[in-house]
Amino acid sequence: MSKSSPKLRPNFFDGIVALLVALLAIGTSVVFYGGLGSKDGDVTAVVLHYGKEVERIDLSGLDGDRQIEIDGKYHLTISLTAFGAQVTHSDCPTQDCVRTGHVSRVGQSIICLPEQVVVKLEGTKQSGDPDLILG
Amino acid sequence: MRNKTQQLALGAMLTALALGLSTMENMFPVTAVIPLPGVKLGLANIVTVFALYRLGSKQALSILIARCLLGSLFAGNFSALLYSLLGGIVAMLVMIGLKHLQRLSIFGVSIGGAAGHNIGQIAAACITLGNTAVLGYLPILLGVSLITGTITGLVSSLMFRAMQNIRLGHA
Amino acid sequence: MKKILVSLLAALLLLCTGCSQPKEQTLQIFAMDTVMDFYAVGENAEETLNAAAQEINRLEALLSRTRTGSEVSAINGGGSVTVSHETASLLRSALQYAQTTSGAFDVTIAPLVDAWGIHSDMPRVLSANEIRTLLPLVGSDHVQLDGDTVTLDAGCRIDLGGIAKGYASDCVAELYRQNGVTGGWASLGGNVYAHGTKADGSFWNVSIRDPKNTAGSAAMVQLSNQFAVTSGGYQRYFTAEDGTVYQHIIDPATGVPAQSDLLSVTIIGQNGTMADAYSTALYVMGLESAQKFWHAHEEEFDMVLVTEDTVYYTAGLAEHITTEEGGPYRVQVIT
Repeated sequence: MSKSSPKLRPNFFDGIVALLVALLAIGTSVVFYGGLGSKDGDVTAVVLHYGKEVERIDLSGLDGDRQIEIDGKYHLTISLTAFGAQVTHSDCPTQDCVRTGHVSRVGQSIICLPEQVVVKLEGTKQSGDPDLILG
Repeated sequence: MRNKTQQLALGAMLTALALGLSTMENMFPVTAVIPLPGVKLGLANIVTVFALYRLGSKQALSILIARCLLGSLFAGNFSALLYSLLGGIVAMLVMIGLKHLQRLSIFGVSIGGAAGHNIGQIAAACITLGNTAVLGYLPILLGVSLITGTITGLVSSLMFRAMQNIRLGHA
Repeated sequence: MKKILVSLLAALLLLCTGCSQPKEQTLQIFAMDTVMDFYAVGENAEETLNAAAQEINRLEALLSRTRTGSEVSAINGGGSVTVSHETASLLRSALQYAQTTSGAFDVTIAPLVDAWGIHSDMPRVLSANEIRTLLPLVGSDHVQLDGDTVTLDAGCRIDLGGIAKGYASDCVAELYRQNGVTGGWASLGGNVYAHGTKADGSFWNVSIRDPKNTAGSAAMVQLSNQFAVTSGGYQRYFTAEDGTVYQHIIDPATGVPAQSDLLSVTIIGQNGTMADAYSTALYVMGLESAQKFWHAHEEEFDMVLVTEDTVYYTAGLAEHITTEEGGPYRVQVIT
């Protein structure tokens, strides 16, 4: 048991402790968020065509909207904004991709079976986010 | 050397003070920023800092445990106990270590303690929620601990200054 | 000071080991007329998923109705056909589910599905006369199963599409178990298998799609070592010239796309094949009969039913379901 009168004025070594705590905060934020600049909730849209990645776009970096055209047996127009993704036009017979509407959460995707196009949103999952979507 | 009764009374008083402080903390809506029930600023660390210097680590630990047990009795759930106990104990271990270095003032020790407190609380959250995603709040809480640690250090230093001429059971 | 440095280093090392992830693998394939996603964590994650993809391809070659050379095509070709034990067993299960559901699920619906053109690019509305001609071809009594030999009555056809994906999910689950996958899932177009748990021990969050807003979620269930299958009219439908919307699940009793008061049915249980068959059947039955059916079989499965304004779930799910408060649906528990 060591009892002593504490030093009551902050000194240089206190500064080191404060600095260490600050560094730990920065360090953990780098570990958990993969970089200082990226906030949680950053979403990347990945477009696959016949299983091959054709586009990968960081949505948070988007200013306005960005159109992507997919050409194959059918023609699809995909619209990306900072808020999500949507297939705005497709001449495929099922129209499932257009009907899916606008997706905005990590883990969601839009799929066009006839043209084998997948638009999926990737990013850091929040604790309540779904791991997969059914139906 | 020391009067047992006096020591007991002092311990009880400090426990009551710590309880009062942790109840007072509920008025600060930390959960508005960090949505984790149970996370607290750690103002009760003031008592731990004080007890650590004035009464030694053993007595400080018993005050801490008494505070946590009684506090969770008031709150009425086990997870609250886990939060305060883990937060309190990690804070105390860090502070004991830092105090041993001899070089630090009460401010450095308090800041280290506050950081330890928040790390312990996040650990408790990981255990009770069964989810490591809450680790994401650690950077924010560590940042917050710089402020709360400074406040704790300031309050403690004022306390020691005011009590320089008061003898508490021993010299 | 040294001691503290050492303990700091030790703490850092601990943090680093916390970061290194066990092997994980994802895979996406297009098969069985849908897109399938797989995710597995474990030493053999990659091998397991490759094996899963092969297994799916093998089953599709066996069970597809549109592929010439499949056993189902052979059965539909007429006459007595001896098939693999696997196909015969699956057909036997299908007939059993037809009986349990009083025909609400029926693999002999194929002639009507073809006539409506549900899976084609050109769906059309059948006349009452056409339906009257085709409806007598539907019914399990048209299938004779003797050992592994199948004989269909003239003009009848079967479609195992209603349970093939469920059966495939059972096979994938078996692969996950055999290969020591610690956690993961398989999503086979409306059929989900959730295996083990996440790294932190929590269950998998499976979002059940909101039938009215397909970008949203009607409810979220937490699953581990369970199958979940959703059937709903919103998944595939067509709009006729007069503006009537016809969805893709045909009621074997009427020969017409089911006019269900349910928007979607999700069956959660320990058997993927069963869950697949029941989800279709209960959608056809509608809200009231689906609840009655569950009461008679509540040991076998849990379910989530979505109607125009309410999400219903069975009591067994209470601990493992989250619904949005103030969301578009009222929530009601079935007990």
